Amino acid sequence: MSKPTVGIFGLTGCAGDQLLILNCEDELLDLVELLDIRDFVMANSARDEHSQLDVALVEGAVVTERDEAILRHVRQRSNMLIAIGACAATGGIPGMAPEIDRKQAFHDVYGDAAANFELAADRGRPLSDFVQVDGIIPGCPIEKHEFLGAIASLLQGNPPRLKEYPVCTECRIRENRCLLISDDALCIGSVTRAGCNARCPSLGVACIGCRGPSVDANFPSLEALLVSKGYAVKDIHDKLGVFARLPEPAEAPCAD
Amino acid sequence: MRRLVLVDELARVEGNGGITVELEGEKISKVEFNIFEGPRALEAIIRGRPARDIAGIVSRICAICAGVHYVTSIKATEAAFGTKVTETTELLRDLFVRAGNIESHALHVFLLAAPDYLGYPAATAMAADHPDAVKLALRMKKLGNTLQELVGGRAIHPVNPVLGGFGSFPRAADLVAAREELLWAIDALPIALDFVAALPPTEVCTADTTFAALAMPGRYGYFAGDEIVVVRPDGSTTRMPTREYRTLTKEFVVSHSFAKHSAFNGEPFMVGALARVTANRDLLNGSGVMAMKRLGLHVPSRTPLDNNVAQAVELAVDLQMALESVDQLLAGGLVPEAPVRIVPRAGTGTAVTEAPRGLLVHSYTYNEDGRIIAADVITPTAMNAASIERHFQYSVAQHEGGSDEALTRKLEMIVRAYDPCISCSVHLVRRS
Repeated sequence: MSKPTVGIFGLTGCAGDQLLILNCEDELLDLVELLDIRDFVMANSARDEHSQLDVALVEGAVVTERDEAILRHVRQRSNMLIAIGACAATGGIPGMAPEIDRKQAFHDVYGDAAANFELAADRGRPLSDFVQVDGIIPGCPIEKHEFLGAIASLLQGNPPRLKEYPVCTECRIRENRCLLISDDALCIGSVTRAGCNARCPSLGVACIGCRGPSVDANFPSLEALLVSKGYAVKDIHDKLGVFARLPEPAEAPCAD
Repeated sequence: MRRLVLVDELARVEGNGGITVELEGEKISKVEFNIFEGPRALEAIIRGRPARDIAGIVSRICAICAGVHYVTSIKATEAAFGTKVTETTELLRDLFVRAGNIESHALHVFLLAAPDYLGYPAATAMAADHPDAVKLALRMKKLGNTLQELVGGRAIHPVNPVLGGFGSFPRAADLVAAREELLWAIDALPIALDFVAALPPTEVCTADTTFAALAMPGRYGYFAGDEIVVVRPDGSTTRMPTREYRTLTKEFVVSHSFAKHSAFNGEPFMVGALARVTANRDLLNGSGVMAMKRLGLHVPSRTPLDNNVAQAVELAVDLQMALESVDQLLAGGLVPEAPVRIVPRAGTGTAVTEAPRGLLVHSYTYNEDGRIIAADVITPTAMNAASIERHFQYSVAQHEGGSDEALTRKLEMIVRAYDPCISCSVHLVRRS
């Protein structure tokens, strides 16, 4: 079997998902044996920018026109395109707080230079707003075991397989004390996709939802519970809005 | 005649950046370090959020130095609220930041910078001829990550440090295992240093350079200190309290619109390992002094490539000091402590620390409900940008008669020596 050709790319974000790949210290030298990595500019200055790729792994959100142009080029040269990390999958931190006017925000932070930005979107947008995405590896950052598992799937020609249930389930399996019920913490593990083995609540720290929403996440139920514990609706929405992405109004599920 | 030596996408750096040089005849008309990173405006989009949410959002500026961003953010918030944390918390935070430095330097020196000197496009290609050095570097890098994970809960984007302390303390058994690995690394250090010492000497530019670093109080570290020290090429120094950091960075803003020679009066400065070693060389421990000798590093230096060497010196310092911190923690018994209670109040708090690539500032203002109303984050790469361009200028001017390819290689090596975190460039104003 010939090695699959792979490209790894970064748009607007922190480069943490690409760094996680470099953090596979025990596996890295094997990975470069198993895969024909053609283009990975963060690690390699020898680039092949045009050949057809079996798989493209793309991290980061689309903010600038440059981001969009790179993404479209990558899509066009790839058989399978996988969004890696929260920014690529859901818009992540660059896409949070949609209520904040980015024009003003950019001006506040970057001054007059903000006028020169060539933006492709009002704020950080997921790849799927622009091109067809064939699979995601969630997380901020992605988890090492999920990345390596995804590579194993991709070697078989399959997209990554994800857990559909929430972090809450993993947390229960680990027999952790429930931060939400027992400590009244603003923990959103009940609506967040599993796969991290309940990393944060196992340390006694509330889940911030960095893996995005689980399938069938019941946002209204969590919100009602948190309101009954005294949290303001705005604070709940702010927390969910960083990574978990409340459904936008047009897409909100109908009440039963 | 107008020429452009252009690197449209810098490889082996974090984030998206490039290099532009324009010459008219032999005259340099433009030298730029370009940033293509899309804007995120993190400081603006956190406004109104409660203190507990800030570190987890702002630290995502950057992945390679997420750890130090995270705890610097916490430190700034605690400064605003007047929170005093326990000694064990201080010790764990110091170890956590040091572990991040170990990881970052092992990655940068051996896997990102070294391939340039030896003519490889990547560490994975270098591994074919230098398998032992690459494996050794990967193992040291992993050790830094293991320690970060033990203390911070995750190597990239930590979760365990919280306002007032930690969610949980690391388990003694895990620290004992990490201690074994530290002992291995300290034993392996001479081999690593000799690899760096044997890298072929490379000329990229010679320039008077001004350095800025935290004035470390009594102990070589990255997370304590109330003063910034500026060291000029003649060795003279200026000190300023960290809360007056704007005195330093104001000059930077002035000097940064920098495409013309006249801006040399703006005095750009370099931050990072070389600046720290230059400003705090009296505090180097035995391992650090040994490493300076073994590597032949003399400060103040006139070449930015010595930042790579200084990172190797810090690796030596940090492995030894991390071992001492682990021993101290184990001797103290790691008795669990709940985080100190936070009492929000209106006010401003500033924390200035050292990220692997240089000075890092987080400064926050909160209202009486403990909601953030203003945030100012200044990253090392933003501070270094003007200095990078200044070193580019020298390099281009000193590159008489050489080929464009050779010049491109020099400029790439300069920017890579700074170990830039381009996605960190929060404040970095890019040109049209």
